Formats: sequence, C-alpha cells, structure tokens
Amino acid sequence: MEEIKYIGEHLWVGQVGHFLVVLSFVASLFSAYSYYHSQTTSEKSWLRLGRLGYIVHGIALLSVIGLIFYAMVNKMYEYSYVYRTVSDHLPMQYTLAAFWADQEGSFMLWMFWHVILGVILIYSAKKWEASVLCTLSLIQAFIGSMLLGIYMPFGEDTKIGSSPFILIRDVFEGPIFSNADYLTLIVGKGLNPLLQNYWMTIHPPVLFLGFASLSIPFCYAIGGLSNGMHKSLMVDIKPWALFSAFIFGLGILMGSAWAYEALTFGGYWAWDPVENSSLVPWLFLMAGVHTNLIANKTGHSYRSTYIYYLLAFIFVIYSTFLTRSGILGETSVHAFTTMGLETQLVAFIVFSLLLGSYKLIKANHSIPKKEKEEDILSREFWMFIGALVFLFSGLLMTISTSLPVYNKLMELWDPNFIGKVIEDQVEHHNRFQIWIGIFIALLSGLSILLRYNAFNWDSYKQKFTKHIGLIIVVSVLLTLVISNQLIQPTWPQNLLLFGGIFTIFCNLDYLFLFIKRQLKLAGASFSHIGFGILIVGILFTGLNKRTISANPFVQKDFLTDESANKAIILIKGEPFFTSRYWINYVGDTLVGNLRKYQLDFRQVDKNNETIDAFSTFPSAIYSADYSKIEAVNPGTEHNLIYDVFTQASPPPHLQSIENAKMVEDSLFYLSHLVYPGDSIDEEEYSVDIGSIIFDHEFDQSDHGDGQDYDLTLALPLTIKNKRNKKEYLVHPGLALKDAMIFQVPDIIDELGIKIKLSEEIFSQLFTEEQDLTYETFKVKMGDTFSYKGYNISLEGFDQNPAHKNYAPKDGDIAVSAAIKVSKENLKEFNLQPLYIIQDLQPFSIKDYDETSGLHIRFSHINPTNGEMTFSLAIDERDSQPLELFIAGDVPRSDILIVQADLFPGINLVWVGSLMMLLGIIMSLITRRNNTKST
Amino acid sequence: MKKIHIVAIIMLLLGGIALVMSSQNLSTYSTFELASKSGAKSKIVGQLSLTDPISYDPEKDPNNFSFYLIDQSGVKKKVILNEPKPRDFERSEQIVVTGKMSNQHDFLASEVLLKCPSKYKDEELALRAQEG
Repeated sequence: MEEIKYIGEHLWVGQVGHFLVVLSFVASLFSAYSYYHSQTTSEKSWLRLGRLGYIVHGIALLSVIGLIFYAMVNKMYEYSYVYRTVSDHLPMQYTLAAFWADQEGSFMLWMFWHVILGVILIYSAKKWEASVLCTLSLIQAFIGSMLLGIYMPFGEDTKIGSSPFILIRDVFEGPIFSNADYLTLIVGKGLNPLLQNYWMTIHPPVLFLGFASLSIPFCYAIGGLSNGMHKSLMVDIKPWALFSAFIFGLGILMGSAWAYEALTFGGYWAWDPVENSSLVPWLFLMAGVHTNLIANKTGHSYRSTYIYYLLAFIFVIYSTFLTRSGILGETSVHAFTTMGLETQLVAFIVFSLLLGSYKLIKANHSIPKKEKEEDILSREFWMFIGALVFLFSGLLMTISTSLPVYNKLMELWDPNFIGKVIEDQVEHHNRFQIWIGIFIALLSGLSILLRYNAFNWDSYKQKFTKHIGLIIVVSVLLTLVISNQLIQPTWPQNLLLFGGIFTIFCNLDYLFLFIKRQLKLAGASFSHIGFGILIVGILFTGLNKRTISANPFVQKDFLTDESANKAIILIKGEPFFTSRYWINYVGDTLVGNLRKYQLDFRQVDKNNETIDAFSTFPSAIYSADYSKIEAVNPGTEHNLIYDVFTQASPPPHLQSIENAKMVEDSLFYLSHLVYPGDSIDEEEYSVDIGSIIFDHEFDQSDHGDGQDYDLTLALPLTIKNKRNKKEYLVHPGLALKDAMIFQVPDIIDELGIKIKLSEEIFSQLFTEEQDLTYETFKVKMGDTFSYKGYNISLEGFDQNPAHKNYAPKDGDIAVSAAIKVSKENLKEFNLQPLYIIQDLQPFSIKDYDETSGLHIRFSHINPTNGEMTFSLAIDERDSQPLELFIAGDVPRSDILIVQADLFPGINLVWVGSLMMLLGIIMSLITRRNNTKST
Repeated sequence: MKKIHIVAIIMLLLGGIALVMSSQNLSTYSTFELASKSGAKSKIVGQLSLTDPISYDPEKDPNNFSFYLIDQSGVKKKVILNEPKPRDFERSEQIVVTGKMSNQHDFLASEVLLKCPSKYKDEELALRAQEG
C-alpha cells in the first residue's frame, strides 16, 4: 500500500519524546544498578554514577513533560494524548489540569514528584542516599515502563506501557486518515467539562505528591533492613513519614472538599472504592507513624513499624492497580478505563511485596526486640493496639473494595461464577468503620494520658484516675446534651459521639495541665483533638443532613423509600415554600458554556419578617457545541453552623438538543389561517392577530448565541389568559440567513402553548417578480396619479443615486426618482426606483414597500418629450391568510428541578481534619528542631 | 503469651466476625423473578427497553420517573424511581437498579446507576465539521 504523506504533522515531537522516555527509563535502571553497587563496594565512583543516572533520568523526564506541554499548547491533535485532553475551546488555565487528566499524564506527575524528592534526598539523605535512591530508581523504572509503549516481538498485543506520544492515526481507524490533510478536519476532544475547575488544577498535584512521598518511607525501610542500622533508621525515617502523612492527608482532604464543593455526589465521603483505596495507605502510614514513635521512645515495635511502612507503599501500588486497571468497572464513579497495563501493575505489586518480605525475613534476626513485654498501663501498649486498629480498618476496607478482584479471579477459576456485589456501599462501610472510629477515639484519648513504660505508675496512679474520672463524667454529660441535638442516633453512634468528646477532653487536659501548652509537644494532642472534632462533625452531617426541598403537600402514604420527594419544581418568579424557606427561582445567566441559576432563599418568622435571606447559584455546564448539558454543579451557601447545598437541573427537554427535538416531534400543532385583526378563541385563551412587522429583533437570550439574520419578520400576537385575565404580547417570527429560513417560535409557559409561523409566509410576502402583474403609467415631473387607492406623486430626481445592487461605471447614466406614496389612514412613505443605462443597455432597479406590498419600477425615459414610464404592481398579501401553528400541552421551559439540603456541622468536619493535619506539621517541625539540637 | 498477642487474637476474631457479617451484605446481580420471589432488596442489571414509554413529567411530579427494564434473563418489568430522571438516561448501555418489587409488576428502585458508553473507546473522532 502506498504511504500517505500527511500534512501538518509534527512528528519530531513524538520521535524526540519517545527517545527521552526510553532514555529516562534506561537511566533509572542504570542509577539503581550503580547505587546498588555503591552499597556493596562502598566505592565513591559508583555513588557518583548513581547520582548521574538519577539526574539524567530526571532531566529526561522533565523534557518529556515539557514536550507534551508544547504539543498541548500548540494543539497538535496528531497525538492521541493531546486530542484526548485539550480542544480548541479549552481555556489556557486548564492546560495543567488537562495534562494530568489522563493516565499517562498522571503517571508522569507521580514520577515528577519522585524526581524532586529524589534530588532532595541526594543532597540530604547522607548515609541513606545509596540505599534509598537505589529503591527509588527501581520504582521510577517500574512507573516509567508504563510509558514505554514498546511492542514485544512475541505476539501482536504484547505491549509494554502506553506511550504518551502515540499518534491518533494509530489509535483510531477511519476513512479520514486516507486524507493527507486530516489534521485540518479534527478538533480535540478536550477535558471533560466536569473537570474544568480549579480543583482539577490543585488536587492532583497534591495527591500525587502524597503518593510519591509514601515511597520514601518504603525506600528507607528497605535500606534499614538491608544494612541493619535499625535504630538510626527509625529516627531518620520519621520526618519523611510525617511529611507523607501530612501531604497525603491533605490530598485526600482536598479530594473530599472537591466532591463536596463541585461534584454532585452529595457529600464529602461516599466510600467509593477509589476514595477507600487512597485512604487505606494513609491508615497504614498512620499506624507506622505511631509504632515508629514507640520504637524511638521504648525500643518496642521495630518490626511492626517496618511492616506498616512497607504495607503503606504496597497499598499505594494496589490502589493504583484498582483505579487504573478498569477492574472496578461499575462499582466506582471515578475509575479510569482500562489501558492494558494490568499485567505491569500486578508485576509492580508483586515486586514490591517480594522485595519487602524478602528483606524483612532476611533481617529478622537483626531487628531489635525487647524481651520485657509492654506494661498494660503504659502508653505504648495502647498505642500499639491503636496501630492494630488502623491496620484492621484498612484491611476491612481493602477486602470490601477488592470484591471485583475476587470476582475476576473466581471467573478465571470457574467461568460460570456469578460475581458478588455489595448492596449498599455506604451502609456497609459505616457499619464496620464506626467501631474502628470508636476504638481509635477512645485509644487516642486514653493513651495520651498514660506514660511510656508506665513510668512511675504508683505515684502517677492517683492523678491519672482523678483526671480520667472527671473527663468521663464531663464527656458523658456533654454526650447526653449533644446527642439530644442529633436526629435519632443509634447506640453505637452515641458511643462514637462519646469517644469523640472523650478524646477532645483527654487531649485538652494533656495540652493544658500536663505539658503546659508547650507547642513542641502539642502535635499529637492537636491531631487527636482534630480527630474528635471530625467525629462530632461526621455525626452531625451524617444524621442531621436533611432535604429542605421536600414538598410538604405531597401525600407520603404510598412512599416507603426515604429517597422520595427530594426534588421540587420551581417556576421562574414564583416563590415556593418548603419546610424552612421560601425559595425563588429568579433567573439564569449564560457565561461561556456555564449556565448559572439564581435561587433566592428567604426565611420568615411568624410576622412575615425576613430573618434570613441568601442566594445560591447552582449551575449547568454545556458541552463545547452547546448540544447538551454535560454536568451540573451544586451551589452552596456557607454558614458557620450549617451549609445549604442546592442542585438544579432544567427539565429533560432543555438538557440536550436531542431531547428538545424529541419533545418538538411529539407536539401536535393545529394550523390556523388568519388575517391581521382576526382573533382565535380557545377555551382557555384568546389570540388577537396584529400585522406583520419587519426587521424585528428577537429576544436572543432564548435562542442561543446571538445570530445575525439577513432579514426577520414577526407577527405580533396579543394572548389573553381567560382564567386570570393576564395578557401576553409575543412575536413569533421567521428569520432568513444565507437563504435558510429559521422559525422563531414563542412559548407561553403559563398556558402551555407554543406558537410558530408557517414558513410559507415568507414566499407570500416576498412575491417573486414573475408572479406580479405590472400596470404602467406615463407621467411628468410633479404629476400625481392614483393606483389601487394609493396616491402617487413624482417629487424629484437624484442624478447620483447609490444602491447596493448598482455598481457605477464611467459613462453611465443613472437616475433615481423620488416617489411619495400616500393613502388614507396610512403613514406616508417614499420610494426610490432606479433607471440606469450602462454600456448602452437600459435597465431598472425596482423599489418596494414591505408593509403595503407596493412594487414600483422606473422603466423608461422618453428623451424627446421628457415623459417617464413607471410600472406598478401590488402583491396580494392582504388577500391571502397567514398560517400559524399552535400546539398545546407544551412542557414548560421556565421551570427548574431543584434539590436543597441542609448540611449541619460540615465546618466541624473541615476544622477537625485541618487540625489533624496541623498536628502532624507541628510534630514534623518540632522533630526537626530536636534533631538539630542533638 | 504476651498480652498484646491476646489482644491481637481478640481483634482477629472480631475482624473475622465482621467479615462473616458483612458477607450478608453481599448479593449477586439478581433478576426480576428472583426479586419477586424473595421480596428482598436486590440489584438488577439490565437494559433499557426503548420500545416502551419512558415517562417523566416534572411539572406533575419531579420525583416520579419510570421506565421498562429488560433483565439478564429477558424479563421486562416497569421500574419506578422516586427521584428526578437522570441526565443522559436514553444513552445508557446498561442500567443497574437497586430496590425491590412493590407488587407483581412494578419494581420500586431506590437507586438507578447508568453505565454510559466509555468516554474514549469506540467513539468517533470529533470532527471540525460537526462544530459549524
């Protein structure tokens, strides 16, 4: 087959890019190899080679990223990745978001952070550099292999990785690629409108820095297990673990804030498999951070610390596998589709699992163990149990989330196996995780008041009992009070509430009475108080969330499900009373492809005085070509104690052009033949017909982007609603653009009718020349004559006439006549027909009055006697009826489907979570200071 | 045996019990016939019947949406959802409904999940011509 020479492709980008991808991969392997040798031989040269390899790897990777940006900014749609993520319409500020919107980009983002962290480690890790970077380079090689896009010699479908530089013509098939100039024909698909917001710009970098930072404790752990310097490892690994705990926690928190603010999941946590699989590594990391502390303070728990740090990383890879292999399928709302990398991801998991276990088993004997067991009254005993609870929480979550994996494995075993599903994810997880929450809350309160190694218990015993007793009494009382504010809490929920309050007080006590507000030691207490606040927040949002848009007038008898009646219909401008507020749909504005709806909320007291008023702005996002609504975003009113969360959606027939067509096709139009001045009388309304008007300007807001029509006409109609005597003046019309006639119908929502004009009216009003019967008149200057009741007088001439259909030439003779037309009860008007002799050929250009239908032609000048001949005709517009169509039962277009929810306590969730993270930062900073001083 | 081991064993036991309990939350994708027999809450996978009416009249009741679903064994039943109609409903390839049979004929759903055609697969190229 003949090769096609494609036009406009920038193939060098892909060629250079692919080379750099391979270079970066090879360099990471080289770096790993060199660093490995530097450990066994402790030769400086190997160390230098390792550094060189890592730097080359990093530069190559940064160049790959740069090239992809270059291709994206310049909209090189010949590259599949560019085609998938950007489009002509995509605003520049979303280029970053578009970069990591798809799999290849997010792998690169992950690697990017590894490069940054790796460089920091080269400078700061000192004795750990070789071992940490050896493992990190290997990790980079594994992730980098996902981008290779190299076909293996055996079998056609055996491919390693998926290159970000793959060409679109290698992905899609189609006749379009037989056109050498195909690039001028395609536009980018672009970023999903749902992702076009600032969260998509800030959330992935933070989350991926979180992922990347989790590799560092793993690398350290492998290093410590290899060289046996366990004691100093436990000290040096801690800041990295805390950093990771902070940044990864922040990433997760930002994800839930995004879900709450911008998406319509209706909350901040949905126990979605993708959410769970990022929480699990964080829980393992938290377990590790706690046992790490035990190890540093008491010498216990070395092995557990290793295990937790190793597990945390392995579960990051597992989470990557779950979200990127497509295996979650319908169980998650935001998993990627399959990309053919399953085998590589599984290999990555197996590699990290084997590496971890091998090192752990090999180092088993050198890991310090304490013969004396932990005292039951010591802090470390309960902290250790707390860490176990974290582990359990993560494992339970993993087992549930892995159900699709289990199904897949069973299917391989037995093709007839029918996959199992969890009936209700939220209920399922809540049922178990509530106990985890209770244990963690109680342990984080209790353990902070105990001392390491049960130091001096006998003299401390009295103080401890007094404090804990008082805290329990206060907590129980407060639990009773707060529980009263909750809507039907179950007893485990009350217990959880108690746990939350208990830990808040234990840690406050510790903060103020034990360590006397020394900020250096306050990190843990801060985090624990944050956790307690988070728990109270979760209970309030979970139990007290209620739908305020419930229609109080609908009978509930036959509805068993609590999901019933969540939505109401709002009619524009008609306030509707719900359980708490008057809600008024004020209107909407369209900016770009975002339609914002304004909902006014007003709360009144008994005397009808307004006590609270605010507006929310839920919105709908249209696709780039405005053919359908792609997504709806909620609008939220933030308050200190509660948020009001609103979602709005136009009725289905306004959601897409497709739906609108379906509704239009289902309408039954009745034809009416009318003359100006007639009326149509129906049961519910009457219509008075006006006279056709020309050059009408239609209200553009309802007809998409402002169209410039060549010509428009409209028929003014006065419609009376017989029920409420209301009158409407509407202008259904026709518009001409590029020889196409458009109907511009009008809808009266209150009557449910839609009116449009027959396209025939156009030809009726613009009679073609051959259908006109002209009558000729010979007149002289100043003469007046009469034609069909019109008085016509010749008033003068213009020797230099201008007309759009006349291009003057030298030697032309051109004259226009100034004709005045008048008739009884009619406004006077002027007409200027043209008479021209060009190249010795006489011709005329007629003039025409749209309203009366009068045509006049200046057809001849007799040079001998100065007599002029005019031809006149009138079209028969008044003798023919106008046809208009009226359809009834038309769906209203001024309504909005609205759901409004009250979220109490949501700020407790945010404050609690942020305090937890703040506590981690505090520990990190004080740790650094401690290390510096010693 | 250390105390910590005892605690760990107790926790393992509790975890095991939790797992066994949670397996009761599991079900397989059911059919209308099974759901009708058991009367319990079930999840049914099926396809939208395009020849039957899909009715939603928000002006009358925004919380009443119904359609006909053909389950995997080929049985067709009416599904009622007391919520607004999901966007892009007609385009869904596969529908998963959760709920129970309210009588012999109707399935009362508490949740309707749509599986829409995957974003990037099997889709035509977006052409410039489509835009103008």
